[in-house]
Amino acid sequence: MSFRAPSVLPGFGLTFGFTTFFLSTIVLLPLAALVLSATSMHWADFVHTVFSARALGSYRLSFGASLLAASVNVVFGFVIAWTLTRYEFPGRKLIDALIDMPFALPTAVSGIALTTVFAQNGWIGRYLEPLGIKVAYTWLGVTLALTLISMPFAVRAVQPALLEVQRDLEDAAETLGAGRFYVFRRIILPTVLPALLTGFTLAFARAVGEYGSVIFISGNLPMKTEITPLLIVIHLEQFDYQGAAALGLVMLVISFVMLLTINLLQAWGRRRYVRTGH
Amino acid sequence: MSITLDQVTKHYGGAPVVNDVSLSIGDGEFFVLLGPSGSGKSTLLRAIAGLAGIDHGRIELHGRDVTHVAARKRGVGLVFQNYALFRHMTVAENIEFALRVRRMRARARRERRQELLRLVALEGMDERLPAQLSGGQQQRVAVARALAHKPEVLLLDEPFGALDAKIREELRRTIRQVQRELGITTVLVTHDQEEAFAMADRIGIMNLGRLLEVNAPHELYARPATRFVATFLGAANLILARRTPDGIQVGATTVAPEERASGERENEVVAVVRPEDVELAADRESLGCGFLANAVADEIVFTGALERLRLRLEAGAQASLLSSSDGETHSALQVTRTQHERRALEVRPGQAVAVGVRRVHLLPTPLSSFTACAMDEADTERLSQQGLLLMLAQRMKTRVGMRVEPQLGQPEAPCQGGDTFVGTTVIAAGAQAAARAEWLLRRGAHDLLVMPADAAPPQRVLIHWIGEAARGATLAIAASLLRHVPAEAVYVGIVAGDAQAPSPQGMRELLDARSEAKAAHGLEMRTELHFGAAEAGLARRLADNPGQMLILGLCDLAGFPSRLGALLDGRWPVLIVHRGTP
Repeated sequence: MSFRAPSVLPGFGLTFGFTTFFLSTIVLLPLAALVLSATSMHWADFVHTVFSARALGSYRLSFGASLLAASVNVVFGFVIAWTLTRYEFPGRKLIDALIDMPFALPTAVSGIALTTVFAQNGWIGRYLEPLGIKVAYTWLGVTLALTLISMPFAVRAVQPALLEVQRDLEDAAETLGAGRFYVFRRIILPTVLPALLTGFTLAFARAVGEYGSVIFISGNLPMKTEITPLLIVIHLEQFDYQGAAALGLVMLVISFVMLLTINLLQAWGRRRYVRTGH
Repeated sequence: MSITLDQVTKHYGGAPVVNDVSLSIGDGEFFVLLGPSGSGKSTLLRAIAGLAGIDHGRIELHGRDVTHVAARKRGVGLVFQNYALFRHMTVAENIEFALRVRRMRARARRERRQELLRLVALEGMDERLPAQLSGGQQQRVAVARALAHKPEVLLLDEPFGALDAKIREELRRTIRQVQRELGITTVLVTHDQEEAFAMADRIGIMNLGRLLEVNAPHELYARPATRFVATFLGAANLILARRTPDGIQVGATTVAPEERASGERENEVVAVVRPEDVELAADRESLGCGFLANAVADEIVFTGALERLRLRLEAGAQASLLSSSDGETHSALQVTRTQHERRALEVRPGQAVAVGVRRVHLLPTPLSSFTACAMDEADTERLSQQGLLLMLAQRMKTRVGMRVEPQLGQPEAPCQGGDTFVGTTVIAAGAQAAARAEWLLRRGAHDLLVMPADAAPPQRVLIHWIGEAARGATLAIAASLLRHVPAEAVYVGIVAGDAQAPSPQGMRELLDARSEAKAAHGLEMRTELHFGAAEAGLARRLADNPGQMLILGLCDLAGFPSRLGALLDGRWPVLIVHRGTP
């Protein structure tokens, strides 16, 4: 194994040491404790906890809603980032700053605010009610909350990539005869695709781990609107630490596999995109 | 005609970036748009490509009006300075882009691609990505890509800007070769005059949004029509000379001009002397050509094939030398000599030499220099420092002289400074201006600029003349001024009578004026028609908007102060062009 010559920061040994130390204490050690705690269970207990109907329902909701929220955010995050980078309009700076609000807001506040608006007698909820659309206390509400809190990740990931798409590229494609949709599909999209994937990954990761905002709007009906993090908390409240750890382990594995897949996809895309060196 | 532009105008935030450009480019011609940065040349190219909309005018490609046709349907190929290759596509995919858009079959695409790669000498590079190519190779790919769909017109926007000198040379040759082989009409935009000379069939020079001159490279160099072109294309010495019945009096010598201009009277003109047309000798007698003046060598730079000198002329002649580059405190005569000439007469700094000129070209410009005129020293000084006047003088590469007339405006009083007036006389606007203007005009001043103290550069110049005898001179002066000011030219036609019964005479004059401005002076102007009395109509029109200026031609000075007083009271600058009896 050979390492690159050092750059601005001196001492490869020092920096590498720091990296491993940090990762170990902050990420790996707690995860190891989790795994250890879960593996100290009896196999039968583990299976019982992890594959119970209630647990399965919560996985479906947690990952399903997170995937949906991340997908929605990739699409609309792209649109927002496009608007912010391509157009100059009064209040642009303000909107740009507003994007970060969900970062700063305690998630519980977001949850309460959403519930107020979308409850059956809320500002928007009361108009949706006659249409037969219920948002609060359904899976729709869960998805909405997850979309809200993971939105900044998608926007902020795509924005710098869009800034880098040269207008000249679009102009060149246009003079070569390409229509708008063609330019978008063949020029803009391939250029920002890696950033879009990153945005998706970040938004998804954030959504899966979300707890605070969801519990207010979901109603927490077992099998219907109960997310896995909540189920873990319920186990904890019953002093069932092992059960909580077992569920945590499952989340960990699924999340890890999904993130790894996306990262590999992205790496493959990037290789295709910039094959440098002869 | 391959490309026809008719009065193309584009504004950006109020100011015109492309100002009334009309141009025809022939089939298979290699046309170069040359100008300093910010002159509007790239915007014009983008307008031809359809990437920038225009506010006014028409664009035709091969007789088809494409003014409102989208870029993708215009059938042009465009090459950018930064290549603009699609980085996620291979060379092959880049070149085939336009063909793929047109749903051409894979086999036909491959054949066309290979033909193009051969044309730009990049065979076998099909599967490379742009990141794996050098800058020169990337630009070749960009050229091949722009040609793939067999466009009728190839547009190149500073294509060599990002390349180093040697590659640039090579690519230039390739592009010229490809262009000849395909016989494709090509427009290249550049700020590099050497590049323009090397490649162009014809060059169009742009400055401040206007297309100043269009001609073959050697014609433009030998016979520029404007100061800007004279100094922008290579080095030039600008010398104030006098046109006399015997010829052109430059310094101590009188030379016969190359072309006999239609000299109406003895007047001041601007002569262009190229540095290589200057001859140096030890004394006046050994000169092989007309003697200009004695001079002292200030600075000598050896540059290989040529020797560059800067000379300071003796006092009298030095005064007539105009500074040819901006921000120069004292002007110097620029001379270049070949090694052969250098061997014949070695010159060292500080040495006195006799200077002769082999060839003089006269600029057909009616605005030669400015002279500020007021009643005392302090007022004259203040007037000569006026912002707009200084800007005009600097852009026109001329000077502002001073003339004190203590009795300015007093009837029957004689001139103190003699009764010859050269160039344009400048007086301050205000309540006294009309009387002073009449006083000066009656004593021989021909061109008079009445300048308000706070006048800003105009955005619109209104042109009008009272009396047909002043027409030619007014148009010539307006054209000369407008080459140096990024403003819109508007001819205001004023017809006696009312809108219900306009006289056909007035309409004809309007059209005549426009076509004469275009044909004789290359000046594009809009025309407006007003009804009623001339002076009142002009005042009303000028008061409409701030930032306007008036150029007014006059033949007759009868009743001058009462008629024109309201126009000269300081709300706007007025340039009076007086022709006829004083």
